[in-house]
Amino acid sequence: MTTAVGLGCYVFAIVPAGTALPATDTEGVDGTEGLAAAVTLVEAGELAAVVGRVPTDRPLGRASDLRAHDRVVAALVSAGVAVLPMRFGAVLSDESAVVDELLLPHRAEFVEALATLRGRVQYTVRVVYEQDAVLRQLLAARPDIRQLRETASQDATSQLRLGELVVHALEELRPADASAILSELIGTVDVHVRPPSAPDEVLNAAFLVDVSHAPAFERRVEQAAAQRGGRVRFRLVGPSAAYDFVGDR
Amino acid sequence: MTSSVQERRSGGYLERPAPSGLADVVEMILDKGLVIDAYVRVSLVGIELITIDARIVIASVDTYLRFAEATNRLDLYEHGGKSIDELGGSMVESGARGKTRGLLDGAKDKFHELVGGDDEDEDEEDEYDDQYDDEDEYEGEEDEEEEPEPAPARSSSRRSSNGRGGRR
Repeated sequence: MTTAVGLGCYVFAIVPAGTALPATDTEGVDGTEGLAAAVTLVEAGELAAVVGRVPTDRPLGRASDLRAHDRVVAALVSAGVAVLPMRFGAVLSDESAVVDELLLPHRAEFVEALATLRGRVQYTVRVVYEQDAVLRQLLAARPDIRQLRETASQDATSQLRLGELVVHALEELRPADASAILSELIGTVDVHVRPPSAPDEVLNAAFLVDVSHAPAFERRVEQAAAQRGGRVRFRLVGPSAAYDFVGDR
Repeated sequence: MTSSVQERRSGGYLERPAPSGLADVVEMILDKGLVIDAYVRVSLVGIELITIDARIVIASVDTYLRFAEATNRLDLYEHGGKSIDELGGSMVESGARGKTRGLLDGAKDKFHELVGGDDEDEDEEDEYDDQYDDEDEYEGEEDEEEEPEPAPARSSSRRSSNGRGGRR
């Protein structure tokens, strides 16, 4: 199951064959023991896997492991390489398994996916309500919540009722705000709206953007955020590999 | 990571972390990306993964109490009014910080314990603190469920692509 020395083949990403591997920024990453220590290409036809060596006798998932994965993939994106990023934790027994079981059997599919992603990057936009501002807005708009806040005793049941009302009110507020923001972030190739991860989250969405269009997209995000300053906060991550746009299978 | 730059536009309405914060990385690479199990079955190495299940439950008691407290706290600003300390537990301790977001610092510590249990974390935590006050909200929600989750690489829990939400 593993090689004699207890090393597995960690797969970071799939890229076109012949890709020149960029240097990875390994600051804060685990030095010579880390995933990113000896990154190489394993090629098959027009495809290549970007792989590293990983000892199989320790669990994976330390912060430096996660960061190593991110850095290796990010360096490829920065270098303008078309990238199919793997989800963290893809370990095969050896390089021939990478060729025979991953690259060759799925060749057509990966080639097509790479063609789709070439020249494109992902931006992730997360928008959350400014909590005090939105709660004040809710209190102004909802007499029932206002009254409950004034009269509720401190026991858990009353507080739960209050919290439930507030959370539901936020859920009612979210769609209009989310779609207004989405309608301003146009000109992208594809959008993946992630499910909300917190009650006061307005929007968490990944955008697939042509590189040539990236500056315009960033400006749109900035404008959308500026218009709503004080009410919501934006967080813009990217350009990154198109993690949200490779998983559908 | 010590060179990390947090770009903040005027007014703080837009954050652009550079490089990405650890939580951004976690959300992206644990929950998205090409799932190798879908392609390879024979030669997968069943290496143990320590991962955090980042999914949260919005409709939870914890969430309701948190938002009840946040709503009550508006009283403190407006009237210097009633104490909410009776809510108990960690909420009491952090309630004294005067900002709702402070409530969640405990959860962040927990997150660090798990994800950042190695070498480099002094710098990381500062950076993380700066960038992630808001993110803690969801990292913290299932405190009790955030035990390191040893799972084989092909664990089905990691494969579910619909990620977060809906679990209780």
